[in-house]
Amino acid sequence: MKGLFQSVIVLGILLLAASCADSSRPNYQYMPNMYEPVGYETYQEVDFLPEGTAALTPPENTVKRGWLPYEFSNDAEGKELARAQQSPLDSLKAEANLAKGKELYDIYCAICHGNQGKGQGTLVKREKILGVPSYADAARNITAGSTYHTIYYGLNSMGSYAGQLNYEERWQVSEYVMKLKNDLTK
Amino acid sequence: MASHYEAPIRKPLVLGDKGYHDVSVDIAAPVEGKANKHWWIVFSISLAALLWGIGAIVYTISTGIGTWGLNKTVNWAWDITNFVWWVGIGHAGTLISAVLLLFRQKWRMAINRSAEAMTIFSVIQAGLFPIIHMGRPWLAYWVVPIPNQFGSLWVNFNSPLLWDVFAISTYLSVSLVFWWTGLLPDFGMIRDRAVKPFQKKIYSLVSFGWTGRAKDWQRFEEVSLVLAGLATPLVLSVHTIVSFDFATSVIPGWHTTIFPPYFVAGAIFSGFAMVQTLLIIMRKVCNLEAYITVQHIELMNIVIMITGSIVGCAYITELFIAWYSGVEYEQYAFLNRATGPYWWAYLLMMSCNVVSPQIMWFKKIRTSIMVSFIISIVVNVGMWFERFVIIVSSLHRDYLPSSWTMFSPTFVDIGIFIGTIGFFFVLFLLYARTFPVIAQAEVKSILKSSGERYKSLRAAGKPMYKIRKDGVVRETIMDSEGTLSNTDK
Repeated sequence: MKGLFQSVIVLGILLLAASCADSSRPNYQYMPNMYEPVGYETYQEVDFLPEGTAALTPPENTVKRGWLPYEFSNDAEGKELARAQQSPLDSLKAEANLAKGKELYDIYCAICHGNQGKGQGTLVKREKILGVPSYADAARNITAGSTYHTIYYGLNSMGSYAGQLNYEERWQVSEYVMKLKNDLTK
Repeated sequence: MASHYEAPIRKPLVLGDKGYHDVSVDIAAPVEGKANKHWWIVFSISLAALLWGIGAIVYTISTGIGTWGLNKTVNWAWDITNFVWWVGIGHAGTLISAVLLLFRQKWRMAINRSAEAMTIFSVIQAGLFPIIHMGRPWLAYWVVPIPNQFGSLWVNFNSPLLWDVFAISTYLSVSLVFWWTGLLPDFGMIRDRAVKPFQKKIYSLVSFGWTGRAKDWQRFEEVSLVLAGLATPLVLSVHTIVSFDFATSVIPGWHTTIFPPYFVAGAIFSGFAMVQTLLIIMRKVCNLEAYITVQHIELMNIVIMITGSIVGCAYITELFIAWYSGVEYEQYAFLNRATGPYWWAYLLMMSCNVVSPQIMWFKKIRTSIMVSFIISIVVNVGMWFERFVIIVSSLHRDYLPSSWTMFSPTFVDIGIFIGTIGFFFVLFLLYARTFPVIAQAEVKSILKSSGERYKSLRAAGKPMYKIRKDGVVRETIMDSEGTLSNTDK
């Protein structure tokens, strides 16, 4: 009986200790020696910087290694000029590029444009967003170059995807969009 | 007893006209009496040293190991020196209680209790250092292989530092059990004599209801023998493992196969010296001269002399092997010890450990209490320097001359060491006032074979008991004129 009483007390103390953990806030830490970074993490809040974050915007008109600025401007004239540009990707690796392009398209584009590019993505079907055209729309007459331009800058209600996709990925998606267009107009 | 044969060459181990009751009274006296002024003075000094040491430890842990005199080359110095020193001191206790029990040495019975207490208290001091010399002592529990949430991250069993953990913790727990088991009959005796209710309660608790039945005694003896048999390999292996901290390394001056036995011999050497220091004082202040006799001191001196000679042989072996090896690093390590910047430490170690015990060959010296006391302190100084020399002189100059450096301790290093000495004496002084410092049950078991009274009765051909006409059995006792009678004393 005494042993039972003691184990109940021990269990109670354990429960009491466990009840101190609160799921709505970070749990207690034991000796957090190297839990908090000494250096600056990418999106860490930094009070002495103007934007309040360690992620600073680079100065304008600077070019980093392995990157070149896009040469066409964000207007109708730029788009017309961009329409003519060819995909720089290696045509011998077209299969792999299309496969990659499909993956990226399904992630970033299909939610509005639909898996076949008919403009019937999930958001359109649920009427969250309207007026997404089909790639087969003859009036639009999209090319790989104009697709690239649109991904880079966005168009009308579509925003830019330059932050999500890099140079090569944008071309892979553009090539895949051309394939979808061909499939639709066949 | 008439059939008992005891060689007449053996000197009595219990002096004076002591019967069983006298043994109880003498041993219970410090526990039942009040502490005198001197005890309080010494206790206060020890307590002050302990508090100072606690301050130094708190300062180290809260500020960092950089408060010590260590540097990037000499990254073990006073910490591990003191650790090995205290562990070494602890070894004599187990040696006296276990090895001497296996060898049936009756003289151990007057000293084993205090020697074991010394073991426990010095292993506690030693156990502090592996913790406080850590950079992050609050993670010390990581050395224990417990299942955990790091994917059950485990310890590496290849490190002698981990073996140290097992060695020291096992050593402490086995010693504690061995000591406490031996204490049961004695606590029972104090309990039965106690008149104050509080004292009675306390000693009832610690004596675990010992009633001294034949069956209890039979099992008690078996347990003691088994524990002695276990403690003996333990005592050898613990200091061996401590020596592996160095011997398994690649440092010239450390990487030696001689270390395990040599460290053990050194441990017995320094441990016996510490027992000697403590008991010479204790026999005086607790009036135990009848039990801890000059013969005991002489026998301990002989052990000190023998182990000192073993240590001396080890020193010479090391020097010979260094020369014989043809390894220039090892040769330089020993040249550096003898003639380098720490030559004085090497000289102190050599003179204290090799030369000083050799004077014990003279009977006049080894039976002199004063000289024994001085030598016992000298030996412990020497053994401290042995560990210091091995650790620091091997580290501060090794393979790369660009890494050569020096070591000097800070007040924190020294403060912690003083603190452990204070802690040791705080424990020992408290022990001396609350524990039966001599195993009275064991002394009573040899009283009739080795007590002076009974020896002289035997020599005089007198019976040890007389049955009176009314059937009462009485011990034969000696009166002040030395005549023997059977009275009602």
